Amino acid sequence: MQATVMTATLHGVEAMPVEVQADVANGLPSFTIVGLPDAALQESRDRVRSALRAAGYEFPSCRVLVNLAPALLRKHGTGFDLPIALAVLTATRQLPEERIEGTVVVGELGLDGSVRPVHGLLAFALAARRFGMSLLGPHELADAADAAGGVSCRPLAHLREITAEAGGRPPQKRAPARSPVRVPDLADVAGQPTARRALEIAAAGGHNLLMVGPPGSGKTMLAQRMPGILPPLTSDERLETALVYSVSGLDERTILEGVRPFRSPHHSCSIAGLVGGGSPVRPGEMSLAHNGVLYLDEIPQFAPSALQALRGPMEEGTVALVRAEGRFVFPARFTLIASMNPCPCGFAGDRQRPCSCTGPTIARYMARIGGPLFDRMDLVVRVDRPDPSAIVAIDRGEPTAEVRERVIAARQHAHATRGCLSSRLSGAALLDACQLDHGASRLLEQAARVHHLSGRGITRALRTARTIADLQAAERVSEEHLLEALSFRLQETA
Amino acid sequence: MSSSIRTEVRRGDALYPAQLLRLERPPEVLYCIGDPSLLVPGLAVVGSRRQTPYGSQCCALLAGWASRHGVAIISGAAVGCDQSAHRAALESGGRTVAVLGCGADVDYPPSARGLLEDLRQDHLVVSELPWGTPPARWTFPERNRIIAGLAAALLVVEASVPSGTFSTADHALQAGTEVLAVPGSILSPQSRGTNQLIRDGASVIADLDDLAVCLARCGLLSTAEQDVQTHARDPSTDAERALAAGPMLLEDLAAHLGVPVQEAAHAVARLELEGAVRRGMDGRYAFVAGLGGR
Repeated sequence: MQATVMTATLHGVEAMPVEVQADVANGLPSFTIVGLPDAALQESRDRVRSALRAAGYEFPSCRVLVNLAPALLRKHGTGFDLPIALAVLTATRQLPEERIEGTVVVGELGLDGSVRPVHGLLAFALAARRFGMSLLGPHELADAADAAGGVSCRPLAHLREITAEAGGRPPQKRAPARSPVRVPDLADVAGQPTARRALEIAAAGGHNLLMVGPPGSGKTMLAQRMPGILPPLTSDERLETALVYSVSGLDERTILEGVRPFRSPHHSCSIAGLVGGGSPVRPGEMSLAHNGVLYLDEIPQFAPSALQALRGPMEEGTVALVRAEGRFVFPARFTLIASMNPCPCGFAGDRQRPCSCTGPTIARYMARIGGPLFDRMDLVVRVDRPDPSAIVAIDRGEPTAEVRERVIAARQHAHATRGCLSSRLSGAALLDACQLDHGASRLLEQAARVHHLSGRGITRALRTARTIADLQAAERVSEEHLLEALSFRLQETA
Repeated sequence: MSSSIRTEVRRGDALYPAQLLRLERPPEVLYCIGDPSLLVPGLAVVGSRRQTPYGSQCCALLAGWASRHGVAIISGAAVGCDQSAHRAALESGGRTVAVLGCGADVDYPPSARGLLEDLRQDHLVVSELPWGTPPARWTFPERNRIIAGLAAALLVVEASVPSGTFSTADHALQAGTEVLAVPGSILSPQSRGTNQLIRDGASVIADLDDLAVCLARCGLLSTAEQDVQTHARDPSTDAERALAAGPMLLEDLAAHLGVPVQEAAHAVARLELEGAVRRGMDGRYAFVAGLGGR
């Protein structure tokens, strides 16, 4: 007797359909899984056998063969436990076939028959929506189905519930016993007017930002407050980012509430950790920061190869990885915030501590992150250790909510006047958007000459100036806007 | 004019500079690449390797002026002040001599390669160390002694204490070379050495007049040549006046002027474009007297 259950396996951030076919036939008792299962999936045999018995079903004492079709696709993970168990139950007539028709089944089994979540449930929910099918799986799958929308889910806590009357027991809602998401507030930052301003401009225009300052100047503290001043995620963005979180096995609930992701990988992070990779292929930090902020603290300490790997995806907004198992495309549209010390000892220009570095060592240090990556930093801002009196003072900085209002207004102005943020503009479109008057163009020419600006350098200054103008809802970029943009340049190293 | 010709000038040769004999241990041989006739008394310009915008501007101003008036500029090709001095001499069309702490044919420091090539072509690179000798820690104080010996006057632009620049001044005093020093802010570590030299009796170089008088006294300049032009620009705005007193971070400048940081940023960005203000490697802004770019 045979039976088929629909499920899926993760391929990057997508769930690919897989049929679990069970064949129960006479012969010596055995239990075989074929169809390119990985090690975790092979172990599924023992879990299924015990779970079925614990749930009060019978495991057939004859030859049981399970095939995973398409047989050529490599399958990973433990989400096949429940589909295999149901296929065996259906093939042995312990479960009526109608129960699983038109249903995508996913879930891991405990030895006691409990149904457990696996990574990437959101991807399964989206797949079910795509196929026009319903879902059957752990309770977490019902949450994912809610998030995906337009797909129904029957949650199971225990395997034995599958033969209970459908709808006999109302599915228990998981308690949302979590305090509301707290994003750090800009009001906690004392002083730092320049850095605050740079953060606001970066948020308003989607610009990448490099912070240069001595240790303890509050670079990380400032960066952590970036997601708060960005507008909340749109519903599409929520799903895109939550999907990456889900397949990475991370909690996607804050993302689904609209909070932009903030990822700060340690500088020992490998290329695969940053851009994605491994086996099975998982998204990297860059994709986890999709629609949010990727913060690279102490950027000169990162492996140069890892930093160079950032460049392509930063232009394209996606990462494409080609591996033996196929081609994987992950989303990766993020705002990069990087920080570094001004010199190897860290104290060049500090108000209190003298610096012990010489010119050439500083120049070498600055050169470590490489011109091409510098070129993608629209804003460079100097951050200094605040005066102790400013920290102790009672008057706090401007709160996140006020800054965010300005950022949202500037973004709306940008979208209304030209349909995109200025960080995405270049060439003629950028010049058109800026509408420089005579004085401003002359100023720009002068700046290019005095500061030895390259073509890219001019583009960066113009983009920043355009965003500064957006913050004032100004139609044209004026000299003032341009002057401020020029002050967010990299310091000279010669 | 010679180009990259190697000469070994021995003690007793006609070309051997007599002023070197004032040293306690005059070098036996001078290994020269370039034009050995440049081994005449000149103005040595030395200063900190960690130069501030103030230092580089003073170098450009003072070495450039002396060079325009026919004084050979002697220095050590080191990073910072030394290279600024050589470049100022080249830009003003004067002559300049680099004394190295390694063989005269060795490019050290590496960043000076292009500069040294130029000097070997049309000017002079000299060392007491045989061809191909690599630089070592102890060769530089010895090199400093030759700089002090070759020069008729030693101008110290910036120096911290203790420093190699400071040791050059010691050698100069022993050799009887006149020491000139550029005063600086009492808050700047790079001016501590020069201020100390002034306290100890060095001649103060507070403007081009001072330099002209000192160079004339040392016989480097005939008094007729003292046509001194004034600075191209005096600080005219509050921001310039504040920065002229010492380099400042933008936020400190804004606090000093009592204006929002954005306003100070506008002012400074405009002054930068005018060439009146420059941002140093440490992120601080400094007033540079409107003498033009680097």
